[in-house]
Amino acid sequence: MKRNILALSLALAMGASLTACGGGSSSTPAPSASTAVEPTASQAAAPELSGTMKVVATGDIYGPLFEQFTADTGVDVEYISMSSGEVLSKLRAEGGTPSADLWFGGGIDAFMSAKDDGLLEQVQFDAAEDLDPTYRDADGYWYSKGITIVGFLLNNGLMKDLGLTDPTSWADLTDSQYAGEIVMSNPAVSGTNYAVVNALLQSLGDEEGWNYFTALNDNIAYYGKRGSDPKNKVTSDEFAIGITYIDRSIEALTEENDVSIVYPTDGIPWVPEGVAVFKNADNVDAAKYFVEWLFSNDDHLRTLAELEQKDGSKLIKPSLEGVELSYDPSILMKEDLSQFGAQREDILAKFETLMGDKANVADE
Amino acid sequence: MNKPAFQSRGKRVSSKEALFRIGEGVDKLVLLFLLGSVCLFVLWPMTCILLRSLHLSGGDGFTLSSYVQVWTKYQSALRNSLFIGIVSALLCTLFSVSAAVFLSTRRGWMKGLCMAVLLVCMVSPPFVSSLAYIQLYGRRGWITYRLLGLSWDPYNSWGVIWMQALSFVPMNALFLIGILSKLDGGSLRAARDLGARPGAILRDVVLPLMRPGILVCLLLSFVRSLADFGTPVIIGGRSTTLAAEIYLQVVGYSDLEKSSAMNMFLLVPSIAFFFLYRALMRRSDRLTEGARGKQESLSLPLFRCGPLGWLAVAMSLLFFVMMTLQYGCIFLSGFLKSTKGVYSFTLKYWHQLWTISGSTMVRSVIYSLIVSLGGTLFAMLFAYYMERRRVPGRSLFDCLVTLPYMLPGTCFGIGYILAFNHAPLKLTGTALIVMANMMFKQLPTSTKICSASLTQVPVYLEKAARDLGGGQMAVVRDVILPGLRPAFLSCFVYNFSSSMTTAGSIIFLIDPGRQLAVFKLFDAVYTGDYALASLIASAITVIVLAVEGLVFLISWKGAARRVS
Repeated sequence: MKRNILALSLALAMGASLTACGGGSSSTPAPSASTAVEPTASQAAAPELSGTMKVVATGDIYGPLFEQFTADTGVDVEYISMSSGEVLSKLRAEGGTPSADLWFGGGIDAFMSAKDDGLLEQVQFDAAEDLDPTYRDADGYWYSKGITIVGFLLNNGLMKDLGLTDPTSWADLTDSQYAGEIVMSNPAVSGTNYAVVNALLQSLGDEEGWNYFTALNDNIAYYGKRGSDPKNKVTSDEFAIGITYIDRSIEALTEENDVSIVYPTDGIPWVPEGVAVFKNADNVDAAKYFVEWLFSNDDHLRTLAELEQKDGSKLIKPSLEGVELSYDPSILMKEDLSQFGAQREDILAKFETLMGDKANVADE
Repeated sequence: MNKPAFQSRGKRVSSKEALFRIGEGVDKLVLLFLLGSVCLFVLWPMTCILLRSLHLSGGDGFTLSSYVQVWTKYQSALRNSLFIGIVSALLCTLFSVSAAVFLSTRRGWMKGLCMAVLLVCMVSPPFVSSLAYIQLYGRRGWITYRLLGLSWDPYNSWGVIWMQALSFVPMNALFLIGILSKLDGGSLRAARDLGARPGAILRDVVLPLMRPGILVCLLLSFVRSLADFGTPVIIGGRSTTLAAEIYLQVVGYSDLEKSSAMNMFLLVPSIAFFFLYRALMRRSDRLTEGARGKQESLSLPLFRCGPLGWLAVAMSLLFFVMMTLQYGCIFLSGFLKSTKGVYSFTLKYWHQLWTISGSTMVRSVIYSLIVSLGGTLFAMLFAYYMERRRVPGRSLFDCLVTLPYMLPGTCFGIGYILAFNHAPLKLTGTALIVMANMMFKQLPTSTKICSASLTQVPVYLEKAARDLGGGQMAVVRDVILPGLRPAFLSCFVYNFSSSMTTAGSIIFLIDPGRQLAVFKLFDAVYTGDYALASLIASAITVIVLAVEGLVFLISWKGAARRVS
């Protein structure tokens, strides 16, 4: 196993553009070897792989990427979509016998919990050095394939009917004119909305932060139990304002529906979308190689960006060319991700008390 | 078909004693198999959930802390669950009885049409019904806003009650129609000859004779409502139920201990109701004992039955209109594109539908067929042993088999992972675990249908067969199973429709390589592609109806051949 990790990481150091040359091995531990990596047989790892890699993903759009992997390695890929909370529950129930190999996408807080529970496998490879350390686990238990950013989605028709002015910032949302017109998801089920809570708490400070959410709570119609609720409710003319992830699929909505996107001027919360390998999985080797394969070759990252219609991979790997950010990264909120996992339980518990009757009421 | 049966009968005469013994042995084996399966696939997963709720598995030592948390925090959710459960069970039963009486007194095209609507509605793909509800009656609903100009908030307990009540009706109504078709025509005629008005016949003869059926409807709807998490999650808004909170614990906090404790909490009212129902059932069994009639339609002029009759007609019409609207809405949504609030016709989603791999659909059908046939046979045998034979601990087993019905599907799925992730019971990742989960999740309803139907297979027939020297197995094969033929069809329809649309419990069990059609629906709903979701739901509905039609045809032909 240990040898494999080494071989894999070395192989990856080359990237796809380097030519293979000579054998030889290195005893340099991969993670710390930022510069002194001895080139070895670059594609050595691939032919050892076989079988099937089972993936839990957040959607079913990744087919072409996985087909590419199959073409390169001969490993068949099967995937199914599950939310990150479902994945975590399933992992915990399985008690160390995961039925999938790779976890592809989902809010990073779930990945952090899984790491703490010892459910993830360490993956280290040299090209990881090219990845911005903000978006990956220092120990290599999880990586990010992109980030999800959060903004507001407005229903123009309802805004007009109700005589509301368009909010432009987080601060605006507490205005009493929006009472009962804002939908957000319960931060427990939505990594995106958990990011909102955590990021705002970090930027406003604990006291002011909680005051903010207490005020916001008065305007929230209800907290959705599914991550896509805010977007769906606003699009179907049910509520005027949704706090939701923003990506090109949301941008596409503005063309077909009477909705518009607002990027809050006082900062955009964001959350990395994790990639990790399950510990004790049947095909750990293939899943580990997939992680290297994805992050070491810019073509693969570009394919991913195209499939997702997102540009966050540019943040993850600044050297990536052919993908340009559609927004200025300085509008992203300052977030200390190390707080994300550690504070989750406390923040959610506090938030639950705050939501109180909105999340948990027997109404008349 | 006839010939081999004849031969085997000839053999039996020659070595009657030996065969009788073998029959007895097989009888015991079958019983053992049934009870063993129930223990393995219901009791064991439930035990795993219980252990988890007590923190006895998964590491950290025995504690009741999860129960304390749940008790202090979820009382209002439990109260709301009970409130929603009771009201929706009552409303649903009112609809079901009305629809059943209405349909049983009808003949001709009207009956055919309504039966067709019922069969379509039996297939209720998850989520899309609630989405159709929002589309029709939401804040900007086609009916409430566009037609009536109302702007109201559909996200509350009443929305949940209404949706649940409507969605449970088709099953209940079909079941009650079955009971009504077996009512003793003699007592109706006697009442009429004695000068009773139609209204009095309905009130004093028909309804009391339906009582066991009505009780079954009440119980099944109440418990189903308690365990339903999909509806409150989507349209509950601020109103929450215990089942929805359990779902939230699983997907939001991944707290298996707490969600398991909440499950145990939820079981209390369900089990209490179950025993109440058993007690009531026993009383009403006596009431209807011997009530047997030929299959004929109920000759009761409903329009002359006074207020009760009118109520039945009005409720039925309301139900059929709402269901037609709902399913019409689902189907239409697949072909409509909304551009800034203006709808236009599109084939875009229709083309997308065809990109879904056929193997996914075929796999769904195969799994569902296996589950339906296996589950139906299992239910028939199980019902027979429970109702007619003195099996020790019978009420316990009867309760046990009902448990999966009382849990939110999500948790029954988690229970299966807990139970079957280690050797020698390593089943995770196989197709078997998925099918077993579907089958045992649906078994409670199937066995209730079979039990109710069994009360109409007279005990004397069974005794006669035994007196004539038939062994236990012969009785089962020649008396019980043929007597349960009507139950077979309703069980099959129920099992097949449910298997094709079940999602909550098997999301955790399905192997990535063995996707089912319903997950395609899930993906579409999740990405907010309602039009595509509607089309997938319609496609599933059409497939279910086609397969069921085929099975009807085969069994009808088979029955016809046997008669000739």
